[in-house]
Amino acid sequence: MIRYIIRRLLTGVLLLVIVCALTFVFFRILPTGNPALLRAGRDPHPNLVKEIERVLGLNKPLIIQFWDYLKEFFFHFNLGYSYYSQESVRSLIAERLPVTLSLTIGAAVLWIVGGLSVGIVSALRRHSLVDRLSMGTALLLLSVPEFWLGFVFLLLFANDIGKLKILPGAGSYVGLTYDPWKWFTSLIMPWIVLAAGSAAVYARLIRSSLAETMGEDYIRTARAKGLRERAIIRQGVRSAINPVFTLFGLEVGVLLGGAVLVETVFNIPGIGVENYKAIVSSDFPVVQGTVLLAAAFIIAANIVVDIAYAYLDPRVRYR
Amino acid sequence: MRSYRSLVAVASAAALALALAACGSSSPSASSSSLGTSAALSTGGYKSPLTEPLTGGKRGGTLNVLQEIDFEHLDPGIAYFSVDYAVVFATQRPLYSQKPNSNEETPDMAEGPPQISDGAKTVTVHIKHGIRFSPPVDREVTSADVAYAIERGANPNVATPYIQVYFKAIEGMPTATGGPIKGIETPNRYEIVFHLSEPKGQLVADALLLPLTAAVPKEYAEKFDKNKPSNYANFQVATGPYMLKNDARGKVLGIGYVPGKSATLVRNPNWNPSSDYRPAYLNEIDVKIGGTSTVLGRQVLEGTNIVQNESAVAPPVVQLAAEKYKSQLEISPGAGSHYIAVNNKVGPFDNIDVRKALWAALDRTAMNKARGGELVTNVATHFLYPTINGFEQSGGLKGPQGPQFDFNAYPEGNMRVAEKYMKLAGYPDGRYSGHETLTVVGSSGSPAEQDAEIVEQTLKNLGFTVKFTLVEASTMYAKYCNVPKEEITVCPSVGWAADFADPQTVLNIAFNGTAIVPTGNTNWGQTDVPKINAALAAAENVVGREARAQAWAKIDQELVEDAAAIPFDWDKQANIEGSDVDGVGDIWNVGEWDYSYTSLK
Repeated sequence: MIRYIIRRLLTGVLLLVIVCALTFVFFRILPTGNPALLRAGRDPHPNLVKEIERVLGLNKPLIIQFWDYLKEFFFHFNLGYSYYSQESVRSLIAERLPVTLSLTIGAAVLWIVGGLSVGIVSALRRHSLVDRLSMGTALLLLSVPEFWLGFVFLLLFANDIGKLKILPGAGSYVGLTYDPWKWFTSLIMPWIVLAAGSAAVYARLIRSSLAETMGEDYIRTARAKGLRERAIIRQGVRSAINPVFTLFGLEVGVLLGGAVLVETVFNIPGIGVENYKAIVSSDFPVVQGTVLLAAAFIIAANIVVDIAYAYLDPRVRYR
Repeated sequence: MRSYRSLVAVASAAALALALAACGSSSPSASSSSLGTSAALSTGGYKSPLTEPLTGGKRGGTLNVLQEIDFEHLDPGIAYFSVDYAVVFATQRPLYSQKPNSNEETPDMAEGPPQISDGAKTVTVHIKHGIRFSPPVDREVTSADVAYAIERGANPNVATPYIQVYFKAIEGMPTATGGPIKGIETPNRYEIVFHLSEPKGQLVADALLLPLTAAVPKEYAEKFDKNKPSNYANFQVATGPYMLKNDARGKVLGIGYVPGKSATLVRNPNWNPSSDYRPAYLNEIDVKIGGTSTVLGRQVLEGTNIVQNESAVAPPVVQLAAEKYKSQLEISPGAGSHYIAVNNKVGPFDNIDVRKALWAALDRTAMNKARGGELVTNVATHFLYPTINGFEQSGGLKGPQGPQFDFNAYPEGNMRVAEKYMKLAGYPDGRYSGHETLTVVGSSGSPAEQDAEIVEQTLKNLGFTVKFTLVEASTMYAKYCNVPKEEITVCPSVGWAADFADPQTVLNIAFNGTAIVPTGNTNWGQTDVPKINAALAAAENVVGREARAQAWAKIDQELVEDAAAIPFDWDKQANIEGSDVDGVGDIWNVGEWDYSYTSLK
């Protein structure tokens, strides 16, 4: 098991280097604009552009620039500085990460609890009114774009522009340590909106998986042996949950890299918005930093999921 | 050309002429005649920077500002974006600046008007006594601080975007890379002299209202300017009525400005009101960054002490404001222009008559409706737009008149006139019969996308085969329209906002054949007419506001006669404010709110 974990971690590092290289190459080749030209302004003297390129290190061969970046990243955890604000990318990410963590963890709890509960009930009461209502709602939530749902929530419930004025609206986010209650209430709507679509997916997934499992021979055998229904359901859920768990790991990894739409609609200063802004303004260091962070989260989530499989499903063993 | 984004659309409203002279402006220098006629400045009865009183506001209070996008640069030596200017001009005092309702230079740090002498090769400015930097610098500003501010602009670590455009004539500037510049002399603590290598004193004098001339203390800023790039913005000191909140060491980053999150402006304790014309009513300005313009707009309209500071308020919000919150909507004319750049160098549009045919066929009214109609646009008939010196001399709203301008006489488009020009171009049946496929690259997103589609349809009506591509605006410029070798035939919606009201800032770079560069080219149509180039060069050296207006208006008319490009829209900026705000916008800064004049009720 230890060897497996070490191997996965090394593969993860290799993947990070590859992601780093791809980001590096894409943002220098694709037509997003030369940062030196953006900094130099209109009608710049060619010498000025060259000097800025030198200052920003853009005059070095791509491979050297890449090597410098890797060295700084792996040996000093230095992600460079924003071309615009001159702020350290590391501190910029550190500042926004708690925000994105707050958003993602809360939403994940909601969608896992909500999605699994609804899915399990639906699977156990298949074709009942509850099942049909639940699955219909899930389909609706799946079909609704996140940003639209966000607007609807704001127009209904936000205490500034909403009809009912019961929850803090867009731009109300404060840090957990600043005011825990305000933090909690400001995130209720974003959590619900972010969780809605995923909860629907989980509900449908667990329903079909559990329904299939409950029809397995070993479940029938357990019933025939007189095992209590509660214990049977627990067994069934444990078997059915594996695909859900895989998806959960991936999805949390992706969201930790930033939930752009929800962060934008609710004006939450997280990683996603920062990444989007950096892409639009060709702020390479910030783009690289945030993309690397997202990749790291996805890789880490995958490793955690793979390891956790062993505990969830005794049939799985690692070499 | 400063950064700004396309204006937004609302339902059209009846245009009511405003009697500008009686608009309530209390500023003695507010001059409607210098801005244009009342018709050109009409805002349909809505508030405008020209109608808002500049005195009598209530002192005190905190203004909350919502803005979707972050600032680009808050360093006065780098700032070049209308949203940045709202903060920079509240915290810094350049040598000259403009009152909200005027496009004329008012001495700010300077004691009086610039003195142009020596055949327009010397510009002398005397600066006021008793102006002090904010903490932690605290000392009095001298002419050496202004000299350093300009010198650092040439330092690649700072790289002022417009320095070589307006200050190139200063001796030593073209090769400057930071450090003393031969042509900038400070004979004493309160005098600065610019020695020029060419007689461009008027242009340099006009450009002294750009934020580059805001004093920077060398002994304090030099260490920050050595960083690559400079991080002086994060430790900046102020000379204006407000300053970005800082700590005892002067650090602004993370205190008065948190990128992507907020900015906090507080009163500058060292500001001397007796030396400044700004009233500075507010105690504090809290800027919150992020969100979506639609939500922010609603928050503002239903809020109290709050404004939205945006380069473009969302169209549905402007519409809502126009219908339900009329007193909270401000319309600012003269907020830039849009035109269709057609390739004058290669392809069918190298023929002047084909260009005229497209101009004649185009339904410019439809294009403007896509942008919101009369409330936020005027149909453009030439290149100098309202509030720019020379606009009236070039024909005002109607544009140049005469039979030679018949292609410009039909805002809704006229296919018969278009066919006439196609025939003159050598296409006997009035439609294009060649085999070239036109490459049209437009900007995605409303309203530029709708404009591009109208242009595409018009080209098809004229018989062209079109390869039509829409990309993100920055890509359209950086990859296609700014790169001559891409040989794009038509860029259907390019925009321009002047750096100041001098007509040279609108016409020179955009149509000067000698200014065409391989990348970052803003002469999008690659207009390169020797006669026009010569006229541009001569007009650069003209001294005197009226004389320059005449000279540049003539060039403007020549450009129309040449159909160098096809102007279709003169923008007006829409701004919104909460119910308890007496907002004042800056006519010279595409209508952005002026925090030094805005007050709470």
